[in-house]
Amino acid sequence: MLVLALDSAASACSAALWRDGAVLARRFAAMSRGQSEALVPMVAAVMDEAGRGFADLDLLAVTVGPGAFTGIRIGLATARALALAAGKPLAGITVPEAVAAAVAETERRGRTVLAAIESRREEPWLQAFDSDLRPLSAPLALPPEAAATLVGGPVVVVGDAAARVLPHLPDAVAATAPPCPDAAVVAALAAARWAAGTALAPEPLYLRAADVTPPRA
Amino acid sequence: MIVLGIETSCDETAAALVRDDRAILAELVLSQLEEHRPFGGVVPEIAARSHLEHVDRLVAGVMARAGLSFAELDAVAATGGPGLIGGVMVGVMTAKAIALVAGKPFLAVNHLEGHALTARLTESIAFPYLLLLVSGGHCQLLAVLGVGAYRRLGTTIDDAAGEAFDKVAKMLGLGYPGGPAVQRAAQTGDPARFALPRPMKGRPGCDFSFSGLKNAVRLLVEGLPRPLGERDAADVAAGFQAAVAESVAERTRRAIALFRERWPEGRHLVVAGGVAANTALRQALTATAAEAGMEFLAPPLALCTDNAAMIAWAGIERLRLCLTDPLDFAPRPRWPLDPGAPKARGAGVKA
Repeated sequence: MLVLALDSAASACSAALWRDGAVLARRFAAMSRGQSEALVPMVAAVMDEAGRGFADLDLLAVTVGPGAFTGIRIGLATARALALAAGKPLAGITVPEAVAAAVAETERRGRTVLAAIESRREEPWLQAFDSDLRPLSAPLALPPEAAATLVGGPVVVVGDAAARVLPHLPDAVAATAPPCPDAAVVAALAAARWAAGTALAPEPLYLRAADVTPPRA
Repeated sequence: MIVLGIETSCDETAAALVRDDRAILAELVLSQLEEHRPFGGVVPEIAARSHLEHVDRLVAGVMARAGLSFAELDAVAATGGPGLIGGVMVGVMTAKAIALVAGKPFLAVNHLEGHALTARLTESIAFPYLLLLVSGGHCQLLAVLGVGAYRRLGTTIDDAAGEAFDKVAKMLGLGYPGGPAVQRAAQTGDPARFALPRPMKGRPGCDFSFSGLKNAVRLLVEGLPRPLGERDAADVAAGFQAAVAESVAERTRRAIALFRERWPEGRHLVVAGGVAANTALRQALTATAAEAGMEFLAPPLALCTDNAAMIAWAGIERLRLCLTDPLDFAPRPRWPLDPGAPKARGAGVKA
């Protein structure tokens, strides 16, 4: 199965072409802004490097959030239009799921995985997974000190808000995995989810209503 | 030559297919008016969310209506700015992605250039011409010399004309958007009952100002009995509308003189933007153009307000000149048509 995946939902930008467990081509850059410039050239680069055309794809995948609203839209607008123009299906993957999946099995063993994603608000987005990466909770906006209400016992924390959460958990270690999603991981997750029929629709997961400034006279 | 155009810079999500013989092959516009109405103005985050929800469906819709495949396009154009950046990004990413898959050029169109070139889509007129761009976000007089070649003759030094209509409508309790609401109320009003200022009238240059007029309306309304009677509201609306029309016409008269002096071969006065829908303003401009011996052109209403056909058409004009854009184009919240013009205060800075 040939999968093209992309991510721009957090503080990074990446694109990857993946086939049956092998990453054929990948571009990744850490950035908190500028994804609208970087993303499409990255997609072009991975397709070129692997010598593949869009007609060869079996599936596209994209992170849907929670994360930065603008970043979520950059990824989704791009992926939805790629899928439309290529006539291919598109699967959504959540950001916490993507960062948790990058935690090494040795680090997960005997520990709950807590994904902590930056919201640029007081409450980061938190989601707990068991050591086999099955979700134990839905992604929620919670104050860092409330992280202990989600997880008990030994924990491994991953994500770009991990540093905010770690001090509030008695038996927690920081994962060595990257703090942001990686399109190569997103592709692998999407292939599995698609095969199992559990992929999400490519719809944004904002988890927070739009900020509305009260009308001025 | 067929270009797909996408517009997402404010509160309309739109897609259109236009051919180089000036035929609009298909067009879809989705207004977000109802989503923003409770807030009395466009809420940027609500707008951006709504654009993402609908833009791919609208693109698929125009392709299906025209019976075209993406491979049959010659280029994909999107508004690249100026505008609400969250929305602009949605349209730009959509266009870049389609261009990449279809292997066609991408064109980042200045939204104002879309308005400026609409008269060449509807009427096939030649350069140069004088353009009055008057909308919710802009109020400018421009000499249109060619694709990508503009000289700003005047701009607002504070509010855009459309903003003033929205604010006055709010003061009068007429609802949102203000343009159509004020015009409706003004129909039965007496424009001469209240004396309102004609902003900038008689001043040198061609700049506009609407905040003084807006404040004069505010003071006037504060002095009227509450709750505001229908008669009073209608008379204020009519008076305000007449003041705007007279002020804009006077500024345009000065711009015509300036334009004539520098570009004597130009024969057309073109109006574009949502406020161009206002009947009183159109009448005033028609008279101004006739007095000066210029031909007045106002594109049909649907092509005056934000739309994607104008973006596709500007894309065609740019593609003919090979003015395509790279896929790393950065959406531009501010993008003046005449970068050489001095910065103006207030809303004018945006453009």
